[in-house]
Amino acid sequence: MLYLKDVTIKRGLKTVFYNWSAKIENSKVTIISGKNGVGKSTLLRAIAGMIPIEKGIVKNYNNEIFKDQIKWGQHLIYIDSKNGLSKDLTVFENLKTWSEMRGWKTSDDDLQKALNSVEMLNHKNLYISQCSEGLKKRAALSRLYLSLLFDTEFWLLDEPTNELDQKSIILFNKLIQRFLENKGTVLLACHELKLFDFNYALLNLDLLKK
Amino acid sequence: MSLQSSFIQIFISHIKREFLINFRSLVDVTSIISFMILIVTLFVLGIGPFEEKLRLISNAIFWIGLILAIIPSLEKTLQRDYENGWLDQAITSPTPMELVLLSKSLAYWLIVIIPLLISLPLFIVLLNINLKLIPWLLISILVGGLSISLIGIIGSALTLGAKRGNILLPILIIPLIIPILIFGIGISEAVRINESPLNNLFLLIGFTLIYLVISPFISAFLIRIAISR
Repeated sequence: MLYLKDVTIKRGLKTVFYNWSAKIENSKVTIISGKNGVGKSTLLRAIAGMIPIEKGIVKNYNNEIFKDQIKWGQHLIYIDSKNGLSKDLTVFENLKTWSEMRGWKTSDDDLQKALNSVEMLNHKNLYISQCSEGLKKRAALSRLYLSLLFDTEFWLLDEPTNELDQKSIILFNKLIQRFLENKGTVLLACHELKLFDFNYALLNLDLLKK
Repeated sequence: MSLQSSFIQIFISHIKREFLINFRSLVDVTSIISFMILIVTLFVLGIGPFEEKLRLISNAIFWIGLILAIIPSLEKTLQRDYENGWLDQAITSPTPMELVLLSKSLAYWLIVIIPLLISLPLFIVLLNINLKLIPWLLISILVGGLSISLIGIIGSALTLGAKRGNILLPILIIPLIIPILIFGIGISEAVRINESPLNNLFLLIGFTLIYLVISPFISAFLIRIAISR
């Protein structure tokens, strides 16, 4: 259970959440919905630890997650629209350097499997600067497969389906199914709820904030 | 399966990544060298054919050229990774940000310094630098270059997300670089008048060590602020 209690989150000078509480079930998918600018991304970034929480606490079971940011980082994959891919590296090199940065020892075989899971194996030697937005997103989502091999608990995904085509969305659904089998928790900010073929809890910020 | 690498391995893999990125597009590296050659050439042409004048100020020209040539590229060290979201990935990973930044500044140092040392003979000819000065010049470039990249990463972190970062950055970091300039020229001048340059060298090394310790922490702090905006 990820438990947010009386949190106040500011972005710059603007208070986005004020004394706000929510519960997020573990081993489930929770979709954060709401109109543009309501604070979906801010919430995800705050839970990921990028935006400091001014007041209140965030607990995972009984542990306050921000007491040890490095430990929290171990359990967490965050992907947003920026993807975090260097345009001077190829798809494969980006995935490799990313897993090395997290301190994971992955064989080339694992990396290829990860790329295969989003059908990027044919494009693995393509430079990111040559990729379309959809390919970039798929390259970023290949990290999700890699995280299945290590004990990751949370996926925080900010609008992951925006640039994906129909086939990639099926692959993305498959990845999430596998993660749920591994008892993982997914937090997903998204507008289009029709795309997913799994059970999810809805966290509608429009209704909950006021 | 989930074997974790040690900090050293993570550190080395970071340096590898920086090398891969920078040597794939050689623009950054070559621009520093060619910019420095241009500055030095302009000075030499401006002074005219007076060997006496040149000998008095050649050390100063060399150091000022070095600093001016490095500054434009400093901004990009973090800016690129900030824009493409790599820093977001680094901050949500189990690796401490300080380690990422230390490896970044050391990688930058190697990337800039190696080509600079290769092109050193050219500057020696252009500036008519005395041959007995060369070993001291090498040491002072190595140590001074490390401090410049450590200070530069602070400046780069400070101007992340700023709209006019490329103008702001030199204004912020040149005052911090002044001691390097003074000690660096001090080493060369001491050799020129046949005195021991060790005093200045130790001061330069001490200065660099201070930044080696504080720079990763300061810049990590600044990056957290930039990302939280």
